[in-house]
Amino acid sequence: MSVTDEAAEEHHEPDWYEMRLKGHLDARWADWFDGLSLTHADDGTTILCGPVLDQTALYGLLRKVRDLGLPLVSVIQVHPQQADVLDDKS
Amino acid sequence: MSIPVLVTKLYVPPPRPSVVRRPRLLQRLNKGLLAGRKLSLISAPAGFGKTTLVSSWIDDFRWARDEGQSEAARRATIVHRVAWLSLDEGDNDPVRFLTYLVAALQTRAPSIGAAALTALDSPQPPPPEAILTALLNEITPLPDQIVLVLDDYHVLDSKPIDRALTFLLDHLPPQLHLVITTREDPSFPLARYRARDQMTELRAADLRFTPAEAAEFLHQVMGLHLSAADISALEDRTEGWIAGLQLAALSMQGREDIQGFIRAFAGDHRYIVDYLVEEVLRRQPEPIRRFLLQTAILDRLSGPLCDAVLGTMNDKQGTMSEPSQREAASFIIHRSSFEILEHLERANLFLIPLDNQRQWYRYHHLFADVLQAHLRAEQPALVPMLHRCASAWYEQHGLAADAIRHALAAQDFEHAADLIERAVPDMRRSRQEATLLAWLQALPDALVRARPVLNIHYVGTLLQTGQLDGVEARLRDAERWLDTAADRGERTDSPAAESLPGWLAIYRAGYALMQGDITATITYARRALALIAEEDHLGRGAATALLGLAYWTSGDLEAAHQTFAAGMASVQKGGYVADAIGGLIALADIRMTQGRLREAMRTYERGLRLAAEQGEPVLRGTADMYVGISELYREHNELGVAAQHLLKSPALGEHRGFPQHPYRWRVAMARLQQTQGDLDGALSLLDEAERLYVSDFFPNVRPIPALKTRVWVAQGRLGEALDWARERGLSAHDDLSYLREFEHITLARLLLARYQRDRANDFLGGARRLLARLLQAAEAGGRTGSAIEILVLQALACQLQGDIPAALVALERALTLAEPEGYIRLFVDHGPPMAALLERAVKQGITLTYSRQLLSAFGQAEDRAPVYQALIEPLSERELDVLRLLGTDLSGPDMADELTVSLNTLRTHTKNIYAKLGVNNRRAAVHRATELKLL
Repeated sequence: MSVTDEAAEEHHEPDWYEMRLKGHLDARWADWFDGLSLTHADDGTTILCGPVLDQTALYGLLRKVRDLGLPLVSVIQVHPQQADVLDDKS
Repeated sequence: MSIPVLVTKLYVPPPRPSVVRRPRLLQRLNKGLLAGRKLSLISAPAGFGKTTLVSSWIDDFRWARDEGQSEAARRATIVHRVAWLSLDEGDNDPVRFLTYLVAALQTRAPSIGAAALTALDSPQPPPPEAILTALLNEITPLPDQIVLVLDDYHVLDSKPIDRALTFLLDHLPPQLHLVITTREDPSFPLARYRARDQMTELRAADLRFTPAEAAEFLHQVMGLHLSAADISALEDRTEGWIAGLQLAALSMQGREDIQGFIRAFAGDHRYIVDYLVEEVLRRQPEPIRRFLLQTAILDRLSGPLCDAVLGTMNDKQGTMSEPSQREAASFIIHRSSFEILEHLERANLFLIPLDNQRQWYRYHHLFADVLQAHLRAEQPALVPMLHRCASAWYEQHGLAADAIRHALAAQDFEHAADLIERAVPDMRRSRQEATLLAWLQALPDALVRARPVLNIHYVGTLLQTGQLDGVEARLRDAERWLDTAADRGERTDSPAAESLPGWLAIYRAGYALMQGDITATITYARRALALIAEEDHLGRGAATALLGLAYWTSGDLEAAHQTFAAGMASVQKGGYVADAIGGLIALADIRMTQGRLREAMRTYERGLRLAAEQGEPVLRGTADMYVGISELYREHNELGVAAQHLLKSPALGEHRGFPQHPYRWRVAMARLQQTQGDLDGALSLLDEAERLYVSDFFPNVRPIPALKTRVWVAQGRLGEALDWARERGLSAHDDLSYLREFEHITLARLLLARYQRDRANDFLGGARRLLARLLQAAEAGGRTGSAIEILVLQALACQLQGDIPAALVALERALTLAEPEGYIRLFVDHGPPMAALLERAVKQGITLTYSRQLLSAFGQAEDRAPVYQALIEPLSERELDVLRLLGTDLSGPDMADELTVSLNTLRTHTKNIYAKLGVNNRRAAVHRATELKLL
């Protein structure tokens, strides 16, 4: 890998996303969803959260959600700090 | 080399022996079919029984056909034949997708599609729309209706395929009905289909099991006797989701405390599948459980493949056991993999047969995903090993694409690279460049760069798909490798490595030409020719053609023509006919610049003949031939014929042309309109052409901005014309080169126009000096076409200055050169001043007949300016046939007879024609078509 490639990578901070799905998803799916953190909320939903490289990666994740027949409740972009708070809460 | 077709993808899955009958859904599907709707869209998430529904619907037709049913049902079903295509991700490659589409249709109509397959097999397959048009023309005369099912459309994520299918739906003959099952709505104009009642739609809300269906399923299919309250609790918890109910039923089978299970399940928040799969797996004996988890990585399962995957895994130490040992072990458990598969199918464990012989199966995708997640969580290290085994099995059985897919999944990149390298020639020949590129991009870049053969194939794939980023670096890598290979003592004697230096030089030449570096292009093309073997027609042809293009770009036209023609002959000899036809555009263009119009015409006609010899579908490039021919007719002042030829192209469809066709067509139409005096129309077409401009390896010898400037000059908009000259940095004192010749002649026209307006001698003098130099250069380069134009301008310049004798000297030279080739507009477009000069020429007896002929051409053009208005959606060939009959007195049935189609088909065509022309009756259609010069 060339020097410029590395430099370009350093510049790019991936955005964080939070995805809420209906039903409690087992922890084993964390790997399936590219290592996003997986939290169960009290309302019976699961929150997947973490850095998502780019829009293409985001669509890839949505596709995986689709293929499991998981009802999707919401997708929002979050700040990493916010995400931490959410993790702590649940 | 065509794409091998896997018949399991075309297998119509039989409905399960016991399946819930869903008359409410079947009726809706039947109704849509009867009403002549184009599409049945079954769009719902995973596990909603989409495929099962379609397969039982289809089974209904067969049953009705064999047993006889009510009259209405028989009418609805009797003529239906079902073609099935199970899609997978590999079908994102349009060539592969279309190959399978045709193969699926051929299972029901073997007589069709041969031409389409040949075209798909050609080195430069025509775009999907052309293939589909040819296919539809073959389907239209079929007596029976075909129902084409595309199962799992959501796996495709390809705009070209969405576009192709939209095109297919828009042109669907009544003989074809499309059924699509998908987990996400396809990018078709669904709202339009809904509004026009052209689609039957079943969605999740329709597909959910109703309580009654759930009861029937649990009771009859799964053999469970449950109370109404239990069923209702399950129905609530799963919300009628069929996969959920099936898993629940599997978990309950043979269980004592069913009510306890249902209570626990209903009160749980977990993802249904997580909860239930765990239950199901827990209840399987260990060998079955292991089988399920370890074979979940496979897209398709067969006994021997499962053995290969499991066998090595159970062979504890044996990463490297002897093949013979492995085979023996495999033999022992051979029976058991078969047995397990049969057992899984019987037990409703989400296993779907892919053929009649019980050889190939697949898991329900949702189930496979869940199993894989379990596997990854439990034994992550095993996953790559399983993929490796699958890859090895596929490799042994000659299925390269599957072997590569699993090798990549195993992250066994070295081996994947080996496999890809070996697969390249076949992939290139079958034009699966999209797939090839995806594989290459899946490999770590460092690995590709370290492998010169693969790397140079990468460059070829990039250049062919028009992606120039990174080409330079890869070329350098390959060169470095070649330079040091000998020192390292590496073998360069494999066939692939042997041709490497030659192809490296070819790609270098092509890349240099694209960057405008002529010297480098020539150097590399010559080097390539010295390196490439005599029998490599494509390689020699490509190198020779690049050399020819370099000569053309530098203005050495005779050498260019000779060399490029030789290159194309070689390419054609290699079987690459479409490419050879594309090359004729260059040859004709060169002839026109040389002032050899008749030869240019012969060249285009040769292209048409060559294309016709290939049969349907019309080869790419045909439309481009028509554009070229129309330009020649325009010059010969046969403006009607020129317009006809231009209008043939949109009727043929722009997709029958090369990527450059849309802009070339507009340029030709603009010049025609300019000739006819519609200067504003010409300008707006040129604006469009500018937006659509696509460069290629051909030199851009008549840039669109210069063409626009000529129109401005004719309109007297000299300010805009001067801005152009300033922007292009043009002056009368520039050094001359062929590439800028057209711009410089345009500048001379602009200077003459300024002189006419301002009477400032500077401009006239500048123009005359520039013209004299241009003439010298054109004559030196053998560019007689340019020379005639320059001489005409010189004559006009002398005339402006009042030096009539000098004007006539120049004019006589122009006339003498132009007469044998029949130039007319080049003179007549200059209007009254030229007419005056020609009168003088006639008086002096200069080229008497020709001068008189030219004089008689003045003032004719304006009378017959046709109304030109391209249709948004051009009419197909067949629709044009129908349109011609609409213009006669024939009745509907007579027309149907004439075309040997059914009255219904005729009505469909007529309806489409009306829609495209924006009219609602026959008379209006004929009127509109006449306006558009379609009749």
